[in-house]
Amino acid sequence: MTELTTPISDGEIAKLKVGDTVLISGYILCGRDAVLPRIIKMIEEGLDVGCDLRGQVIFHTAVSPAGVGPTSSNKLEIESSMIPLSKAGVKVHLGKGALHPETISALGELNAVYAVIPPVTALLGSKTSEIRVLQFPELGMEALHLIKADKYPAIIAGAQGRSIYE
Amino acid sequence: MNETVLRVADALVKAGSTFSDDKIAAYERAIAKETDDKARWVLETILDNARAAKQNLGPLCDDTGIPHLVLEIGKNKSVSGQMLGDIRLGVAEGLRKLPGRPMGIMGDDKKRIDQSGGLDPDSAGVACAPILLRETDEDVIRLNVLMFGGGPAIRAKTYRVFHKHDVQVVLDEIVAWATESVKQLGCSPCTLAVGVGRSHFEAASMMLLAQVEGRYDTQSDMEQEITKRVNESKTGALGLGGDTSVLATFMKVGPQRASGVRIVCLRPCCCFEPRIFSVRLD
Repeated sequence: MTELTTPISDGEIAKLKVGDTVLISGYILCGRDAVLPRIIKMIEEGLDVGCDLRGQVIFHTAVSPAGVGPTSSNKLEIESSMIPLSKAGVKVHLGKGALHPETISALGELNAVYAVIPPVTALLGSKTSEIRVLQFPELGMEALHLIKADKYPAIIAGAQGRSIYE
Repeated sequence: MNETVLRVADALVKAGSTFSDDKIAAYERAIAKETDDKARWVLETILDNARAAKQNLGPLCDDTGIPHLVLEIGKNKSVSGQMLGDIRLGVAEGLRKLPGRPMGIMGDDKKRIDQSGGLDPDSAGVACAPILLRETDEDVIRLNVLMFGGGPAIRAKTYRVFHKHDVQVVLDEIVAWATESVKQLGCSPCTLAVGVGRSHFEAASMMLLAQVEGRYDTQSDMEQEITKRVNESKTGALGLGGDTSVLATFMKVGPQRASGVRIVCLRPCCCFEPRIFSVRLD
C-alpha cells in the first residue's frame, strides 16, 4: 500500500503502476461536470483558481451534506478536463469508470495518473474534514471545493499509458 | 407531524442507509468465492461501508437518489388524498433527516433542463417520482421506498425486442444489454432489475416491482441464467476485473400481448441498489 500526500511529486507518480493500491491524504480538490470546464477556462485565461495545482489531486465528486463519493469520470466534461488539468500540474484524477485509451495515453505522457475509489460515502465521511468552497459557490454542491482527506483508499487504474480496463 | 409522516420519513432513511439481510449474505458469498485480490478488497470495502452507514443511519452513497414509491393497497383498505399528501411530507422529512443530497433543480421547464435555474439548497427539494399503486391480497397498506441513483439511470435501457417466439432470444438481448451497461457503470457489482411488458410504461413499472419482490436467496431459472452469463464477462467489482459483476437478477414479467414484440426495461442497479425499505401505513 503506497501512501500519497499532497502535494505529490513527479518522482512519486513515476513509481506508480496500474493495480497499485494507494492511500491519499492532504488537501485535495473536488469538482465534477458543472465546474471543471469553468476551471479550465480560468486556467486558459491565466486566472488564479485559489490554490496551487502542482502536485494536486482532483476528486470527481460533489460535496454536500450527504458526503462525498465518485461520479463517473468518463462523463464528457470530466474526462476532457484531465489533460488540461494535468498540464497545469494536477497529478492524480480520482473517480470511477473506464476512460478512453487516448486519455490514459495522454496522462502517461504528462506523468499523471487516474485512480478509482470505491463509492463508500459512509466510510469517507470519517476521513474528510476542513471543507471549503474555492470557486463558483453558486454551483452549490457542484462548486470547486477544497477538502482535507485522510487516507482515502484507491486503486491506480491508469498509469504510464497503461489501463486496468485493457 | 402525524404517524404516517414519521413512518415514511423513517423508511426513507433506512432505504438510503441499510442493506437487507439477504443482500449482506449475497456479498459474503461473493467475497468468499472471489479469486481476484483487488475485487475482493472492493467487495469487502463496500460491505464495511454498509456497516458504517447502518450504524450512523447515514447515506450509503453521496448520490442519495430520487425517491420512487410503490404503494400496495389491500382489498379492504382505502387511501385518501390526505394520506398521499402525508406520504409526500414524509419523503421530504426523510430527505432532510438522511440527509439527501440537495440536487433538486429550480426554475421553469427550460431552466430545469439545462440546469440554469440553480440548485435548491434544501434536501427536500428533490421531488419523488409519480407513485406507483398496486393491489395486494394482504390486508395492508404498505409503502415501498426505493432510492434511484443517477449512474444506473444513465446506463438503463427500455426498448423493444422481437422475440421470434423464443424466450432465449429475449434473454440473449438482456444479457447483451446488461454486459455492456455493467461495464460502463463503474459501481459494480450490480443487481439487474428487469421488467418485461407491453409498453414502455408497463415495462418500467415491472422493473420497479422486480426490485420490490426480488430476493437474493430466491432466484428463478431465468434470473440465474442472466446473472451467470453476465458474470462470465469478468467485468468485476468497480469494473476492475473479477468473478462478481452481478450479485443477482430481479426479473418481473407482466402480461403480454399477441405480437412479435416485447418491451424490456433493464436497470443495472449499482452496488448499493436496490436501496429499498418497506413500511406499513395502516
